[in-house]
Amino acid sequence: MLVFANPMFLWALTAAGIPLMLHMFQRRKTVVTPFPTLRFLKAAQKRSSSRIKFENFMLWLLRTLLLIMLGLAFALPVLRTTAGGSWLTRTRRDVAIVLDASYSMNYELDRGKVWDVCKEASVGVIEGLLSGDRVCVYVAADTPIPVIEKPTTEHATVVQAIRALPCLPGSSKLDETVALALHALEQQEGRREREIYIMTDGQAVPWQGFRDAAKKEEKAGAADKAAISREQRDKVSFFALLAGALQPDNACPSDVKVTPALLLAGQSARLNVRVARTGTAKQITVAVEVDGQERGRRGITADADAESSLEFAIGGLEPGIHVAKVTTPQDALPDDNEFLFLLRVRKQLPVLIAGPKEATRYLKAALAPGAADDSVKQVEAAELESVDLRDYQAVFLCDVFPLAGQSVMRIEEYAKTGGVVIVFPGDRADTAAYADMKILPAQPKGTVDIPVELAARPLKRIPNQKDQVVNFNLSLPPGTVPTVALKRVLTLGELQENAAVLVTAGDGVPFMTGRAVGRGRVFMFAVAANRDWSTFPLTAFFVPVVHQLIRQGAGASVQPTHLVPGSNIPANESIPNYREDDAIATPSGAQLAVKDNGNRTFFIESLTEPGIYTRAKAGAAQPEPVLAVNTDRFESRLTPITPQELTEWTGFKKLLTAKDPEELTRLIDEYRNGRSLAEVFLWIALLLSLLEWWFANRALRTQTGATEKMTVDLAGKVVTS
Amino acid sequence: MSDEGIGAYLNPAQMSKLNRLALNSRYVVEGTLAGRHRSAQKGASTEFADHRSYMPGDDLKRVDWKVLGRTDKYYIRRYQDETNLRVYLLVDRSGSMNYTSGEHKTKFNYACTLAAALGYVVLKSRDAVGMYIYGEKMDAALPCKNSFNELNNALKILQGYKPAKGTAGADVMHQIAESISRRAMVIIISDLLDDQPEIIKAIAHFRKNHHDVIVFHTLDPVELSLDIRRGAEFEDLETGERMIADPRAMAKEYKDLMGAFIEDYRKSCSEMKVDYRLVKTDEPVDTFVRAYLEERKRLSR
Repeated sequence: MLVFANPMFLWALTAAGIPLMLHMFQRRKTVVTPFPTLRFLKAAQKRSSSRIKFENFMLWLLRTLLLIMLGLAFALPVLRTTAGGSWLTRTRRDVAIVLDASYSMNYELDRGKVWDVCKEASVGVIEGLLSGDRVCVYVAADTPIPVIEKPTTEHATVVQAIRALPCLPGSSKLDETVALALHALEQQEGRREREIYIMTDGQAVPWQGFRDAAKKEEKAGAADKAAISREQRDKVSFFALLAGALQPDNACPSDVKVTPALLLAGQSARLNVRVARTGTAKQITVAVEVDGQERGRRGITADADAESSLEFAIGGLEPGIHVAKVTTPQDALPDDNEFLFLLRVRKQLPVLIAGPKEATRYLKAALAPGAADDSVKQVEAAELESVDLRDYQAVFLCDVFPLAGQSVMRIEEYAKTGGVVIVFPGDRADTAAYADMKILPAQPKGTVDIPVELAARPLKRIPNQKDQVVNFNLSLPPGTVPTVALKRVLTLGELQENAAVLVTAGDGVPFMTGRAVGRGRVFMFAVAANRDWSTFPLTAFFVPVVHQLIRQGAGASVQPTHLVPGSNIPANESIPNYREDDAIATPSGAQLAVKDNGNRTFFIESLTEPGIYTRAKAGAAQPEPVLAVNTDRFESRLTPITPQELTEWTGFKKLLTAKDPEELTRLIDEYRNGRSLAEVFLWIALLLSLLEWWFANRALRTQTGATEKMTVDLAGKVVTS
Repeated sequence: MSDEGIGAYLNPAQMSKLNRLALNSRYVVEGTLAGRHRSAQKGASTEFADHRSYMPGDDLKRVDWKVLGRTDKYYIRRYQDETNLRVYLLVDRSGSMNYTSGEHKTKFNYACTLAAALGYVVLKSRDAVGMYIYGEKMDAALPCKNSFNELNNALKILQGYKPAKGTAGADVMHQIAESISRRAMVIIISDLLDDQPEIIKAIAHFRKNHHDVIVFHTLDPVELSLDIRRGAEFEDLETGERMIADPRAMAKEYKDLMGAFIEDYRKSCSEMKVDYRLVKTDEPVDTFVRAYLEERKRLSR
């Protein structure tokens, strides 16, 4: 609706008649000019009369339009975007401000950080409110944070609260926060204008929740709840400030993979570093530091808007836990230029062998050939109840069944929390003795004696699907077939869940089976650990097989090198050898809250702060690093959302989008007061005046006589130049 | 310097520029005195023309004895006669010749000056010059004389005339063509703003009588370009007719028409072997005459 703020000036529209009046009442000054070639003038006029008429008409039209535009501009036309126009300026309103607090808001613009721009824009919105208008503030993070939960008229308090808000290290979910803000506004009584201001950097990631929700709504059909929600949503006016860079530029390490997963002293670690790039392809330098010392630096051409990878080899690591980080050069978004991770290097893998000495002799000899090797401990089956299994990387059970119930429970818990259990049968146990042990790959059915003529059996590795049990490989000299002579074997029933036959001995007879249990592994052989059942302990591959089982099984249960913020994270899986009395300190020094879920399982309630988490160790001067937490890199791939996508994803009926606070202020002003068209009319007037000048002088330009010289050549021919 | 006669049109400096120039006819002419122009008559000169059979009464000195020795027949040697050039200057004083765009002479004044310059050149070459002045009718017919006094008198007479109201160029030219009995050179100095086909016919009449014709089409630069920046009421110099027009709006069409008008004259003259020259009144007369005569001399070689 077009209204005029200064309608008195509409009288100026009568000036549009001036060109016509001038034409009609013009007193021509007839300056008589004698001319010899009037006949040519007459003929020329006859030829050009239609063109001259058209030109005159166009000039009249342009001049009339020019005066109309000037008259309209001075009458200050205002275009009301809403029917409520003037009423809107006087009505009371409830306003909710949703601030995106994801780490990408720390992007540095020419005018400062996006976060600060958005906060100041929020303050500007509040300062533009009238007394009596109410405002609430929500921060969009991984989970919505109500800063001012209920709309309040205390504007100064709200401004103070906004100015004190820090930007958070995680990502954000705008859909949940907007829903919460919408809910807060709906709770208010009375008919008021409702406005929600979403202050964000304009990255697509935080908005994706809207798109997913819209898809769900579509799938669900016209469910009543969704329909009501949409109806309520349509009553609210949304303003989105997308204050981020339109063409952002960022490079960051997005992930680090350490191989092998289980690092032993003296072994080299290979780091696969992924670098995410937003913007054009760029040469960047990536550096790796371990314990504060640079251990590698390499240049890489990071591909445009893609991920690239490069590798580093880190050798000579001492046993212990090393804090390492990958860094990329400082850029506009500094929060993601460091990627922290832990390198856990072990001196050796402690092993417990349980069983009678005659059954474990070969095994002990294979694992601890030197008498001084204290990494292998041998205990009797009865002692299993008193030994803390968590001190060992692997536990061998050699002819120990039947076991006491307490021991069975401890072994099962040990396996589930990441331990490796390797079972060798023996003559002591009958099939029923294994029944209590539920973690075995299969329940034994009995034993079978093998005739001498059938004793020699080739061992064959059966590849299990995607090596989900263990990446097992028999290390043998090339060209030989591992062969074992069997006297007796254990026959097995049906394989349990997550179990697989890993090695067969001739015609499909299971020789070794394996099973993933929790985070641990359980392996079971079909023969005893001594030479009573087979020649296996005497073969050349017995030692490498046993070593590989320990190492690879242990590697599968290694704690992650780094984590991303989250909640309800299992402490046992994340923190090595976690005990309930451990005090974990966050990077800022606070104590990490760990919840006991019973059954000896612990969960970290909320892991939000990026950095190195430490655990105080008795007798150690320095606390031990246990966790490396990095901000997730979802938002490091800076992809601005377009206004079209925004409208499409959110489905907001009334959504106004601004690129900077000034535009937001203008949009608010236009929304509440209407849009002034005076400037537009003045621009049109300027355009028309230029057009008129061009048109009026066109004849002069095309008249070459004004500048051209007509000369006569010697042949008498007229030459124009 | 006198303000009458040739002195009114040419100053000594201009005259000195014209001193060594000559206006040669491209065709044979018939003069009354011996001169340096080829005559239609056979006579006494060093340039051999042809033979003819001896007839009783012929001078025996003119018998070609060598031919008699070879053919045993009597032949008389004939030589090309050389005579002087008679140049008639036709000066148009019609109403349209009274135009000037302001910065230059009127076309009539320019035509007078051009006539004076050409007359001076002709007399310097010991040829004879006559003059016809015409407007709505034949105003003056001055016979050919090879005397500076006669030229001076003719120019004084010309000086006494002002441009007429109308024009009757074609009729007068026919009249003049009839009055010039022997082959001569005819120089027309006019803006030719008359009935174009009739003017062309009149020029053709001169050519029919074997005259060497030169047309100096005299125009003001503004007539060619219509370089007038303000609209005005234009009055025809001959008919008095008026019209209001904005020259800027119709310059292109005007120039097209004027270009076609000039081109028609140029083509017609070319077909009739008439030397046509467009003369603009902003060109100095002496420079123009000098350039023209030099060029004519070069082309006649």
